[in-house]
Amino acid sequence: MAACTAWIRALVLAGGIGAALLPSSAFAQAVAADAGIPIESDLVKSKCGGCHKPDANNRMTRISYRRASPENWERTIERMVTINKAAVSAADARAIVKYLADHNGLAPSEARPIAFEFERRLIEWTYDGDKDVATLCSGCHAFSRVMSERRTKDEWAGLVSMHRGYYPLTDNQPILNGSGFRRSRSLPPEETDKRQPMEKAIDYFAKTFPLVTADWTEWTSAVTPANLGGRWAVTANIPGKGPAYGEMTVTADASPDTFVTKTTMTVAKTGETVSRTGKALIYTGYQWRGRGADAGKPDEPWREVMFVERDRTEMWGRWFTGAYDEIGIDVKLAKISGSPMVLGAGQLALKRGGSASVTIFGANLPATLAPGDVSLGAGITVSGVAVANGVVTARVAVAADAKAGPRDVVVAGVVKPSSLVVYDKVDGVRVLPRAGLARTGGAVFPKGFQQFEAMAFANGPDGKPNTRDDWPLGLVDAKWGVEEYSATFNDDDLKYVGTIDAKTGFFTPALDGPNPARSGNRNNIGDLWITADYTPEGAAEPIRARAQIVVAPPVYMRWMASEVGK
Amino acid sequence: MRHLKTLNQKAARIEQYVKEQEAIAAEGEDVVALQRGGVPQSAPNIPLGCAVIFSPGWEVDRTGGTAGLCQPVERDLFDCHIGCYWPAQVPDQLNHAPDWTNKCAAAQKDWRKIDLIFP
Repeated sequence: MAACTAWIRALVLAGGIGAALLPSSAFAQAVAADAGIPIESDLVKSKCGGCHKPDANNRMTRISYRRASPENWERTIERMVTINKAAVSAADARAIVKYLADHNGLAPSEARPIAFEFERRLIEWTYDGDKDVATLCSGCHAFSRVMSERRTKDEWAGLVSMHRGYYPLTDNQPILNGSGFRRSRSLPPEETDKRQPMEKAIDYFAKTFPLVTADWTEWTSAVTPANLGGRWAVTANIPGKGPAYGEMTVTADASPDTFVTKTTMTVAKTGETVSRTGKALIYTGYQWRGRGADAGKPDEPWREVMFVERDRTEMWGRWFTGAYDEIGIDVKLAKISGSPMVLGAGQLALKRGGSASVTIFGANLPATLAPGDVSLGAGITVSGVAVANGVVTARVAVAADAKAGPRDVVVAGVVKPSSLVVYDKVDGVRVLPRAGLARTGGAVFPKGFQQFEAMAFANGPDGKPNTRDDWPLGLVDAKWGVEEYSATFNDDDLKYVGTIDAKTGFFTPALDGPNPARSGNRNNIGDLWITADYTPEGAAEPIRARAQIVVAPPVYMRWMASEVGK
Repeated sequence: MRHLKTLNQKAARIEQYVKEQEAIAAEGEDVVALQRGGVPQSAPNIPLGCAVIFSPGWEVDRTGGTAGLCQPVERDLFDCHIGCYWPAQVPDQLNHAPDWTNKCAAAQKDWRKIDLIFP
């Protein structure tokens, strides 16, 4: 009963909040009244059953009343081991995560909106449900963490109690810069909802994220074994390098739902190739969690998180590495069948009135092609075509009066819509991301890096800059630099916080730890402008774009679930 | 600024700052909108992934800058640890890392002995 002991200890230390919780026996009875999911796994019953007693219908306390993503189950089991001292071997823990994510998992429709949570992306995202509830949780983690679970009401209450017990400050921590407290936020006089914020959250969770949903019921009856073996065409976008294309060969491994992979990719702009081998596991019939390494670099693993579409002909997601999972590429895989496929072009844009060599990537394309087999639309003349290693290279001339706009690429009758754009002139350059984040490291803790890229834009149909219809024209070779972002007088961040590679836009932060050379022994943290100077063809003056970077201290905890791909 | 005489150091710094800005402007350099056709930046530009909800903030302060942060972080780190103030960033003394400070009595001096915690 190690779990219970730690639980009680946490409550005692938390002080004064025990009244909000049900005693454990009453709690067990309360949850048993709901429709829990029976646990059929002998391993789960033997390893978890000491504390989580099964009832006559194999419904185990707590476990049967929750569904979650593989990452969330991993986090739970890690907590049971580190805090509650559950004795589980690594191999058993993996098997338990697999069973629970398969049988007490999320339906595809529940996981799809929060794919970024599993893909470890830093994206701009706001939960569009209850703002108070979102604020309550997102002080420490994104609300998508909450959305990667489904529970009964009693189970949600148990989760909130766990947070209050383990982190007693969650009740009276100042939030929103001192405008209130979680427990006793100042309510405006017209506010009629006087519930304590945690109570409000529990009610909201029970209603919005219930254990039993139509989507989950449907998926559990519809799911079939994921036979993903075969050849998959890879379309990738590599930050700082642009589009890359290649192929992944997936072969079924010994255990069910496991695969070995072999991937080759070519970066369209530079021609550099990536060769990688890996292993992957499928959870819940659609969640790909893999791990691979480049040839000759076995110590630098890349994790793979992908969503397999129900028809098993497409999967998409992110492959990533780095101490903070900050280095990643976007990928989209399409199953290669017998018929030819066009994946895309090596560049995003063609200038009006110019000529260019366009590389077109695909699969099963004919070994020989005539100029007439390749079309990029009206006003673009294809004068010659060569095919080498499955890559088509077309010599094209763009008429001065060719209509500006997105173009389809057609090879041997196969159409890839909106593959590139015809433009008149470069109207601007943007540095992406607009606001970056790096973390000091190298002395004790690992560094967190940030890749920037300079994307050229044309104003698009409306002729106005910075609107949704702007056309991205592709990455340009900018000259990278840094400038002071004045946050204080005599700001000296420029000297201390890090450097950017003038050619590649890759920002490397400085060392962690206090710096005696700085006023007040400040860390090497700070903020800078990242600048990119680019001179478009024919222009006299360079265009300058910039973005902000914050160099922050390390994070001293590693919360990310990284075992699910093993 | 011509009619005011600086009395204290802060006022002198303001004067110096204004002089520098005027010098930059005189050279014809644009110091505000560097992005051509630029997007107006009225709100703080807070990088994604930042914990800003607690005061003063871990990565940035409420203005989106790093000026108002607790610095160096080691000076206050053990207080965060004991009080569980930053549960996602700093190991908590209550449950996850009761012995975190064992190898390191004063984080400002012994910060190289601080461990990364896998909760």
